Amino acid sequence: MSYAYLFKYIIIGDTGVGKSCLLLQFTDKRFQPVHDLTIGVEFGARMITIDGKQIKLQIWDTAGQEAFRSITRSYYRGAAGALLVYDITRRETFNHLTTWLEDARQHSNSNMVIMLIGNKSDLDSRREVKKEEGEAFAREHGLVFMETSARTAANVEEAFINTAKEIYEKIQEGVFDINNEANGIKIGQQATPTNPALPGSGGAGGAVNSGCC
Amino acid sequence: MFRSRSWFGGPWGGRPKNRLSLEHLKYLYSILEKNTTVSESNRGLLVESLRCIAEILIWGDQHDSLVFDFFLEKNMLSYFLHIMRQKSGGSSYVCVQLLQTLNILFENIRNETSLYYLLSNNHVNSIMLHKFDFSDEDVMGYYILFLKTLSLKLNTHTIHFFYNEHTNDFPLYTEAIKFFNHPESMVRIAVRTISLNVYKVQNASMLRFIRDKTAAPYFSNLVWFIGKHILELDTCVRTDIDHQSKQKLSNLVAEHLDHLHYLSDILLLDITDLNAVLTEHLLHKLFVPLYIFSLTPAPPPPSLALVTQNLAAVLNRNVDIDIQEMHNPRVSSIVALYLLSLVFLVVNHAPLVHALAWVILNGDHSVFKEGAAEILNSYTEHREVVVPGFGEPHESLEQALDTVIGHTANYSGDAASEDSGVESTAATTTTPTSRHIETVAEAAATRLRNITDEEKQMLQQSTSTQAFTELAKPFLDTVLQALDCTENDYLALLSLCLIYAMSHNRDGMKNEWFEQVLSKSMRGSFSYKTALIEHLLNIITHSSLPSSRIRLITVEIALELLLTFTKPVADEAPCITATQQGLLFSARNQSMVVLRNFYKSEDIFLDLFEDEYNEMCKAQLNVEFLCMDSNILLPPTGTPLTGIGFTRRLPCGEVEKARRAIRVYFLLRRTCQKFLNEKESLLPLTNVVNLVQVENVLDLNNSDLIACTVVSKENAKQRRFLVIDALQLILVEPDAKLLGWGVAKFVGFLQDVEVQGDKDDSRCLHITVHRGGVTHNRTPQLSAKFLFDDHIRCMAAKQRLTKGRSKARQKKMYQIAQLIEIPGQLESPLFPVCGTSTSCGNTRLAQKGANLTASRVPGFAAVLRGNNSAGISRTQMAQNRSLEGIRNESGSRSRRRSPNAGSSSSLSQRLGNAALDRDRSPSVSGGSHSSSQSRENSQARGSGNRSRESSPRMPRPRSEEIPLEDFQHSRNNSPHSRSAVANASPSSRSHTPSRVLHIDQVSVHSGSPREPSSLGTNALLSQLNGGVTIAREVLPAQSSEETSFIGNDVDVENRRKGRSNIETV
Repeated sequence: MSYAYLFKYIIIGDTGVGKSCLLLQFTDKRFQPVHDLTIGVEFGARMITIDGKQIKLQIWDTAGQEAFRSITRSYYRGAAGALLVYDITRRETFNHLTTWLEDARQHSNSNMVIMLIGNKSDLDSRREVKKEEGEAFAREHGLVFMETSARTAANVEEAFINTAKEIYEKIQEGVFDINNEANGIKIGQQATPTNPALPGSGGAGGAVNSGCC
Repeated sequence: MFRSRSWFGGPWGGRPKNRLSLEHLKYLYSILEKNTTVSESNRGLLVESLRCIAEILIWGDQHDSLVFDFFLEKNMLSYFLHIMRQKSGGSSYVCVQLLQTLNILFENIRNETSLYYLLSNNHVNSIMLHKFDFSDEDVMGYYILFLKTLSLKLNTHTIHFFYNEHTNDFPLYTEAIKFFNHPESMVRIAVRTISLNVYKVQNASMLRFIRDKTAAPYFSNLVWFIGKHILELDTCVRTDIDHQSKQKLSNLVAEHLDHLHYLSDILLLDITDLNAVLTEHLLHKLFVPLYIFSLTPAPPPPSLALVTQNLAAVLNRNVDIDIQEMHNPRVSSIVALYLLSLVFLVVNHAPLVHALAWVILNGDHSVFKEGAAEILNSYTEHREVVVPGFGEPHESLEQALDTVIGHTANYSGDAASEDSGVESTAATTTTPTSRHIETVAEAAATRLRNITDEEKQMLQQSTSTQAFTELAKPFLDTVLQALDCTENDYLALLSLCLIYAMSHNRDGMKNEWFEQVLSKSMRGSFSYKTALIEHLLNIITHSSLPSSRIRLITVEIALELLLTFTKPVADEAPCITATQQGLLFSARNQSMVVLRNFYKSEDIFLDLFEDEYNEMCKAQLNVEFLCMDSNILLPPTGTPLTGIGFTRRLPCGEVEKARRAIRVYFLLRRTCQKFLNEKESLLPLTNVVNLVQVENVLDLNNSDLIACTVVSKENAKQRRFLVIDALQLILVEPDAKLLGWGVAKFVGFLQDVEVQGDKDDSRCLHITVHRGGVTHNRTPQLSAKFLFDDHIRCMAAKQRLTKGRSKARQKKMYQIAQLIEIPGQLESPLFPVCGTSTSCGNTRLAQKGANLTASRVPGFAAVLRGNNSAGISRTQMAQNRSLEGIRNESGSRSRRRSPNAGSSSSLSQRLGNAALDRDRSPSVSGGSHSSSQSRENSQARGSGNRSRESSPRMPRPRSEEIPLEDFQHSRNNSPHSRSAVANASPSSRSHTPSRVLHIDQVSVHSGSPREPSSLGTNALLSQLNGGVTIAREVLPAQSSEETSFIGNDVDVENRRKGRSNIETV
């Protein structure tokens, strides 16, 4: 499947905040959110359309790689976007955001778009972190903020796509050096800027079929 | 609940309604059974079935154990394997789904037993060994993630599922490391993770397998991969024009750092056998042959022939091979120094770091010549002799080196193959004899090359007085020579980084060991340590010169190293000679001279000064961070357009030159103070301890308070009282408990205040309080509209703020002048200002007592009064005190004056000069600012004594200061006449309240004895309002006028220190 650009994303945040569930929810719509099933995956890809262009999002959740310094430092680089996730029902995951952000800022390229995500918004009764707090944190650190629920799929699409839009805008502004793959952006093999992308969104493979039912 | 497609019915019938159930799994199993061959027609069905299986299995793992039992019982994994092995049917499409299912399975499974069952048959290993179509991004991603997920499940129990001791099979590891140089960075990262996860498992037989069967090939390839990367990096540096390859270089450096950290992570796992192999490979395939080798100067063509000849003669070998050896890849010395620094900054593995340091510090040709044993022996000796506390077992290192040192010259052999593009996948199998010959060959070659080139260099360096007849330590010499920054500091910075990194390597190398090696290394009668210190001092001296081409960061590291290497060893004297220390101090003085040229040349000098100080305090030297910046590999540049931080480039433009001068001075000052064991007493200019903080409760009785309403940008309104202190603008609200006290709700520095009137509303001011520091592009601390009761109060506030700002700034400028000991220059701009403000009184003092400390500033008024005669300053002071005593001055105030008395003797020394300066200064004064000031001054003086008769408007803006001048005059006329003083001061003071603020009148009137004299000027005001009189009665009769002008600063301090009695400027 051809695409104009490929954006590499990473997902970061404490364990158990639902990173891999978010990822699966976004990359593979065939997995319907079900109440009594917690299921996730740490890698996925999906095609989206921005500004009439096919853009492939490739997302790497690097859970379990935190033990080694060499791994953490290298993994922030080479991503164009990052989703920084916390769990609105667990305050400590919110408190750790600063550390995550410091790490990300230290190792990533300065243009990386970071989106702050308060996950599990469906569990409002057990909420420990107010939405306003998330908004304030995002404002303070210049992040985009959104509350999502991997379980109800609320805002999941938006979170990933808005991040992509921001990266895309940065490309249009010439901020991102797209010829440098180390920035987490790859130019598609066949697609040219003049060639309008195919209508609709097709999956890159069986597993990444983004079409709705 | 179940929004699955199953509700709508699929192309296949008979499926159970409940998507998540055992029944559904059974149904899916039947599909797998029926569709063992993948074809175009059943592809979609199979993919959907595989996907559903993942879902049901995870659901079963969480809810129903029967699901898993069924899956295992039917051995469904074998169906997976069967499907993926079929060539037909669009492999990627199905394989991606299979891999995703497997990933979901292994990632989400929580039940240990289920996991064991899944792993128990060999299917998982077979799947790993399957050759997928790795050109498909998604297949690659899911596959490597599958391996990573499995590697995270590794422990001493599960290792047996993956590693087969009998067949020596370990597909998880061997398949993964095949992708170690995959173009996709995320894949490489996953490979590193997998390998580290594998090494982590404590299983002897598995580790033995890793070491015996895979370590040599993997590490040699890895090292070669890193080496190739470095050559690319070097090319990038060499071919760079005007920093254009900045981005690329930055990525290459980051990538290299990733490699180094990975190596360090392996070494940190502390697996002895593995570390020995890795150390050997790193040292003898990369660090020594590429990095260290590159420290020796490149052979000049004539000697190339000579060397080749010699080698051919000595070794009886084919000359061609030797020429090839001559073509060993090398990197520029810039890159070599940089890479070595990185090694010492990142890697802490003692054997590796020690060996490398030893080679740099002590490596010489004789050692090369005599073979490997020599290095080892010397190294061992040094370790034992020099680092007594070093208790690690040495066996591993020695074993490693034993095996390894013999290989020293192997690189040359490898290099040949490398040049031809062949990757060596295993350690070369040269016999020991040939190895030795190669060693000798290289040693001889290196020596010959070095000697010729060094000698050439020596000849060129006519300045150098030492004639080096023998170059015992070519590598160390190169490092030290790189410190020469006569032209620029390009090489010097990297050399400093290396020395810093070597001396600060965390635990791999003991600092003392390094130092002692240095001090023991002798070049003739001349220890290397002395040479190093002299080089450092040279850099420092250079940096203090006006046209210096040395970057700030270089200065900072040089100073830091100077401190490190001159740190006195317990029982010894400091390792710095008087001459050396003299050099350092003269460098500081020189930097002070340079800085003086910038004093006042920039309007924002004060802001620059304070900002640089903050920056210096904030930015702790971090060489590791510095070395992550690839920009230091490129020639130093001046333009900020490169995006290089200020300290890492040369200054651009006058403002930056001023900044640089300031910073160099700060750095040198700090270092000198460390040498003298002094504490900084003059910096920062603002003593935070003395400042009013938000929520402080202040005694505002007798303070100038201007009521106002603060309207913020969001239109929120707050009723506040504006108080203007010597340094700060304070907004208070009345204290609920204490009458006349207020709680500070906002404080900001007057020096950062910006006031603007409102065109449409005369009662309104727009006040912005910026945050200190010019480099921070942050929102202002306060930006609001201030509404006053009437336009008079508004004017008053504006005036006070404007004046407060300039006074606060003058005061600090004076402090700076003191700090950098501005001599004759000082009085010309500042003298005319004298007498117009209290702070100017301070500045005038600078003529006489530049060594007065800033902390004594508050007492200046007292000294001022005594300045007509140097000899009697003490007496004067005493008189002042007695005067003040009469005026009910608090005891604390006179106490605070006493420091001035202490300094009065030094003051008096300069007084003669000062008097002269003062006489001629009005004519010297230049610039619009100072001329206007001088006009004010003359007005003030002229009107001083007569002010009460003169028009009250005249001295309006300066009303507060006039008393000072008056006071001084009166004291000059008759020092003992109290009444003269008393009369003069309140009379002029009375202007202040009349125009500025009528609350102030309270204090005026409260000074009842002098009231008659002020009546004339205040005829209008005395009628003004009864409220004033009432206020006077309410307020305790205090030392009103004294506090409000003479003890201006004094009282500020008084308030800060003790009762928080607020005084206005």
